[in-house]
Amino acid sequence: MATLIKATQVSKIYHKTVVPVHALNKVDLSIEEGEFTAIVGPSGCGKTTLLNILGGLDHPTSGKVEITGIDITNMKDSDLIDFRLQNIGFVFQAYNLIPVLTAVENVEFIMLLQRKDKKERIARAYELLEKMSMLDKADNRPGELSGGQQQRVAVARALASKPRFILADEPTANLDSASTANLLDLMAQINKEQKATFVFSTHDQRVMDKAKRLVTLLDGSIVSDITR
Amino acid sequence: MLMRIAWRNVWRNKGRSGVVIGAMIVGIWALAFGGGFMRSFLLSYIQSSIRFETSNGQIHHPEFTIDQDIKFTINDQESILAHLRNQKSIENICSRSIVNGMIASSRQATGVRIVGIDPIEESHVTQLDSLVFDGEYFSSNTSNTLLIGERLAEKLKVKVKSKVVLTFQDVNGNITAGRFRVAGILHAASIVINESSAYVRKEDINRLLGIEGYVHEIAYTTVEGTDDQALADQLKNDFPSEKTESWEELSPALVFMQQMMGATLKILIVIIMTALAFGIVNTMLMAVLERIRELGVLMALGMRRTRVFLMIMIETLLLSVAGGPLGLAAGYITIFYLGKRGIDLTEYSAGLEAIGYESILYPSLNLNDYIQIGIGVVLTAMLASLYPAWKATRYNPAEAIHSL
Repeated sequence: MATLIKATQVSKIYHKTVVPVHALNKVDLSIEEGEFTAIVGPSGCGKTTLLNILGGLDHPTSGKVEITGIDITNMKDSDLIDFRLQNIGFVFQAYNLIPVLTAVENVEFIMLLQRKDKKERIARAYELLEKMSMLDKADNRPGELSGGQQQRVAVARALASKPRFILADEPTANLDSASTANLLDLMAQINKEQKATFVFSTHDQRVMDKAKRLVTLLDGSIVSDITR
Repeated sequence: MLMRIAWRNVWRNKGRSGVVIGAMIVGIWALAFGGGFMRSFLLSYIQSSIRFETSNGQIHHPEFTIDQDIKFTINDQESILAHLRNQKSIENICSRSIVNGMIASSRQATGVRIVGIDPIEESHVTQLDSLVFDGEYFSSNTSNTLLIGERLAEKLKVKVKSKVVLTFQDVNGNITAGRFRVAGILHAASIVINESSAYVRKEDINRLLGIEGYVHEIAYTTVEGTDDQALADQLKNDFPSEKTESWEELSPALVFMQQMMGATLKILIVIIMTALAFGIVNTMLMAVLERIRELGVLMALGMRRTRVFLMIMIETLLLSVAGGPLGLAAGYITIFYLGKRGIDLTEYSAGLEAIGYESILYPSLNLNDYIQIGIGVVLTAMLASLYPAWKATRYNPAEAIHSL
């Protein structure tokens, strides 16, 4: 399978305190298309930083990140926004749906940014909500949905733009066991059926159990990389 | 969708949006009312001056305006009057003889401007008859009667039917005097009328002056909407040997006052708009700071910073669109109501009339004023939202997403 994400010697140092914080230390990581990878490790080990850099939300202090062979490290801010829009889906720990939009509008929104035709947008938004078993909640706003339901809408939103891969930062951290199991089953099914690439950051054992590849970070460095 | 998001964002915090809309309504209302009130204040003074003092325009012998010597009468007044009567924009015309002299009662004497008038013509031009509050306007069959202002009557200690003596120089330079009886006492906001004028029949004064058949001044009023200055300029060409002046030229103080009022209104507008702008900056900044994470998510998902900027601007525009018409409506209703009923400042009438103002003011604004106020408020709102909108685009999505 082709390499989708390639991080080479990626370091990230934060200078927000008197003492610089080395969040990532010369990380090398390659992710192939169709992987279902979990980046694991204790809190503060650099999981979120790595995910942000892989997703083009943050720039590394040194090193290089290539997505499908395109170096995004020094990409202009506006180009990076467009790049994210066309290539990367995001699922956040706190769901982060737009509170003033309904479930279907949240899913439709990203396709709107991609300037897709209204008919296509609506059809795909409903199709994805159906896949997430959220069709009956299509017209509900996030505030009217449970955490698990919101996260399923968030996954539908992440898939809506037909991204090359989906980055999920602690997607189950705020969910109960049943919602977590349900969400993981859905994502595993999508990974299997659509060959969609998922990269999680987590310290949830249930997510680790589902992952096909476990990359363990400790103090900003990869200490193990196991494919199952 | 951007519009939909912006509209729904506006109503996320109904209380806060309500406060901004309320501030806009009050701001616009205050501007409309303040503008209407100041305009009525100014118009009251100008109209009073035009009506009782200058009329819309006057014609004199060129030398008369310099030293007011009675020998400087208007040449060929008949043809001038005939020409004026043919002007569609001229409503009423009157002619006057004017001489400065002394007025004396049995108790007091003082300087006075004696104005010889045709009572009927004068009543059409200045409505002088409407100012008579004691006694009567010139009766048809009595000669050597006069009208004086209330203050002058008090000063001379005279009443209706009292006798006074007018003393002045005739056309030959001889001191001449005439005995007149007070026919009526005038009550006017104008200081000139109240304190220093005496109105007599034109033929009575002309006989004493020795200038029978001549006048010193022709005054005219114009129909509403006439450009008085343009008309005066045209009459200057028509009568090159006389001096024609519009009210603006006759009374530069009125023009200055008009400009001063305009400047004061502008200062008022700036003060209200600045207060409004600070309110909007504060509110929109709060709205942005409360949504840092959401803005971060929008940018992370692929919303360009320009669109985020636009979204905040649209939110402010929507607030203005909601508040603007309501404020304009409140202002219009207030101005309409007070424009009919008037603002009664009788309590301050003594002071107001002393400086030439009417004691009841009728606020008014024209459509242009309302449009300007509306546009001004929307522009202020948009300018005030620039900073919050810019601020919204400055967040790093990665950090914003993890903010509380």
